[in-house]
Amino acid sequence: MAASTDCLIKGMEGETCMRVSKLDRQYAMAGYIMMAPALLVIALVTIFPIGYSIWMSLNTIQSTFTGFSFTFSGLTNYAIVFANQQFWQALEFTVFYAIVTVAVELVLGLLVALALNQPIRGRGVAVAVMLIPWTLITVISAQMWAYIYNGIYGVLNYLLMQLHIIGAPVLWLGTAGLATFAMMVADIWKTTPFVTMILLAGLQLIPEDLYEAAKIDGASVWKRFWHVTFPLLRPSLGLATLFRILQAFGLFDLPFVLTGGGPGTSTTSIAMLAYRAIFNDGDYGPGTAVAVTTVGIVIILALASLKALRTQVGEVES
Amino acid sequence: MKKNRMALLAVLATGMFAVTACASPSQSAAAPMVKKASAPVTITWSSGTVTGTGLRKTMIQLFEKENPGIKVQILQQPTNTDTTRATLSTQISGGSTSPDVFMGDVIWPGQFGSQHLALPLNKYLPKSFFSRFAPGLVDGASYQGNVYGAPWYADAGFLYYRKDLLQAAHLPVPTTWEQVQADSLKLVKMHKVKYGFVWEGSDYEGLTCDWMEYLSDAGGQVFNAKGQPVMDSSAAVKALSFMRGLITSGASPAAVTTFQEPQAMNAFDQGDAAFLRNWDYAWSNSQTPNQSRVVGKVGVVPLPTFAGQGGTGHACIGGWDIYINPHSKHIAQDLKFIEFITGYQAEYTMASKFSEIPTNYAVQSDPKVKDLNPVLAIVSKTHLVGRPSQTPYYAKVSQAIYTNINAALSGQVSVKSALAQANSQLKSAGSSSSL
Repeated sequence: MAASTDCLIKGMEGETCMRVSKLDRQYAMAGYIMMAPALLVIALVTIFPIGYSIWMSLNTIQSTFTGFSFTFSGLTNYAIVFANQQFWQALEFTVFYAIVTVAVELVLGLLVALALNQPIRGRGVAVAVMLIPWTLITVISAQMWAYIYNGIYGVLNYLLMQLHIIGAPVLWLGTAGLATFAMMVADIWKTTPFVTMILLAGLQLIPEDLYEAAKIDGASVWKRFWHVTFPLLRPSLGLATLFRILQAFGLFDLPFVLTGGGPGTSTTSIAMLAYRAIFNDGDYGPGTAVAVTTVGIVIILALASLKALRTQVGEVES
Repeated sequence: MKKNRMALLAVLATGMFAVTACASPSQSAAAPMVKKASAPVTITWSSGTVTGTGLRKTMIQLFEKENPGIKVQILQQPTNTDTTRATLSTQISGGSTSPDVFMGDVIWPGQFGSQHLALPLNKYLPKSFFSRFAPGLVDGASYQGNVYGAPWYADAGFLYYRKDLLQAAHLPVPTTWEQVQADSLKLVKMHKVKYGFVWEGSDYEGLTCDWMEYLSDAGGQVFNAKGQPVMDSSAAVKALSFMRGLITSGASPAAVTTFQEPQAMNAFDQGDAAFLRNWDYAWSNSQTPNQSRVVGKVGVVPLPTFAGQGGTGHACIGGWDIYINPHSKHIAQDLKFIEFITGYQAEYTMASKFSEIPTNYAVQSDPKVKDLNPVLAIVSKTHLVGRPSQTPYYAKVSQAIYTNINAALSGQVSVKSALAQANSQLKSAGSSSSL
């Protein structure tokens, strides 16, 4: 817009600041007013339940006929949660699961995105087909995986036995370590397209002339990737990691459908634990404390991952 | 600027319209409605599939014929009782007026009573109503002096077996668990059947039921008379070692640790299993032509016990009651529904046509019913054992049991450490200040 002199918008280093004129301020006001209904809805749907959950986690709650009765108890619920061995087990499982699946998905997603970045014929169809796992509703695809992994009539066991890789059917979902592995495969199958799309969008933003310049300078494929593609892809990688960590900590539908948290409690995620506590047992206080703790951990992890990739989301380094 | 003002007006109008649209449903519900005498009241009944098809529809048809002013609409429940409980407790604790009546497990009165998720029926029905039920059932549906559920059908575990396979192998019907294991191994080795003995070993409420049977047969208990958990006793070790032994010896497929009722029933219906432990519905289910391949080949006996104990084994008390949602807007109609469905006519139909065990004492003792229902004829020979459900924290108690038993069955932990962990979790499960 028209150049002015107030320092409202900080430009890149060395640039002069821009002043906001009265016209710009009117535009801004109009913008805020138009956004107000949407912001109100978002506040009602997100801020109110989150605040209410935090308030619930600080109380001892009893369900009565007319609603809930609250008795303020400070951090008692948190003390109960942190002293509970199942909580730490579920947290350990969720963290391990998040790290492994996010890492594998980033690598796989990057490879697929690099492949899809080439202007070949049929690329549109390839992108559409690649997206199918992501578009399927998780509960439905999880049920499908449950049939594939079934220890008695599952397709996977049948195929492996036909290929003489295994001699007897393997109980994929009923053996402790295997159940986790099986769930990770199902999750990676489902979520890699999501990472691919974000990285593909990032790749398309990288100007072609940078690659040509690198080629002229005699850079190999790997050097081109490491010095041109990767640094410019950092914001997209940061975004993908951020989203994936948020989703991985909310892991619920896959273990709920595939294993029910078993065998034993080896695939009970943090979200499943909170669900069980709140909706199955009626322990609203400790259950919401688990949920709030998860939020805290996720925020810390998200900030840490952004820091690790040395980027702010939305910024493009020059 | 004019375009911007138009856009602003449009957005504000949409916003106000959206807000009023969201507000109006609840407002119109709160406004008093003029009741027409001829308009039928519809009550919603949340219930699961009982034996297969037809039982609930038949009950509703009979009820609506006698009560023309009331219509009943079914809300289908999932097959897993834990999922059903979570769904209902979420809805009702949120104040929902639907469902009006719901089918609930016999183990829920403790939790639902203490959390005000069910109407105390003794405050709305006369004492004479409760005398129609077989002894012990009303106590099971009570918590702290209030009766929360009207027992609809009783249930117990039974041993179903393939008559044809036992005859072909010249084996008598087993009377001990050890015989069941040996017979299973023999039949599998002779390639007469794919799997020997199938039961419910997944980590859910059903495993607690199966566990109570083996534990009681071995002479053990979950809690002693003082209410302390004693799941690390030698009886418990014997019971769990036997269950694990069924899997390691090959008498039961390793997949039983992922089986709930539908999976075990399916394996038996398809002719893949020689023995099945399941509830009374399995009789009519296995005799339904388009569902089962073993029609006419099935026998049913009380569950066996361990060698040396003598007599028959213990069967876990199951069954379902009808509860009323305390927020329901049609309490009078709900009470009529309960009175009908636990009355002589409805219970007789259910017992004779659908092989469920009736809770109505008159029907239970009717000799005609015993002739039509092979399961009912033998239920009096079983030793019934209940789960430790008279506590509002039963969900946690059961979790402490089934998660650890399942861990041992899948070979994740040893029998002794599973029982030790179950015991320590049972200690903390019995209070509200625990996760």
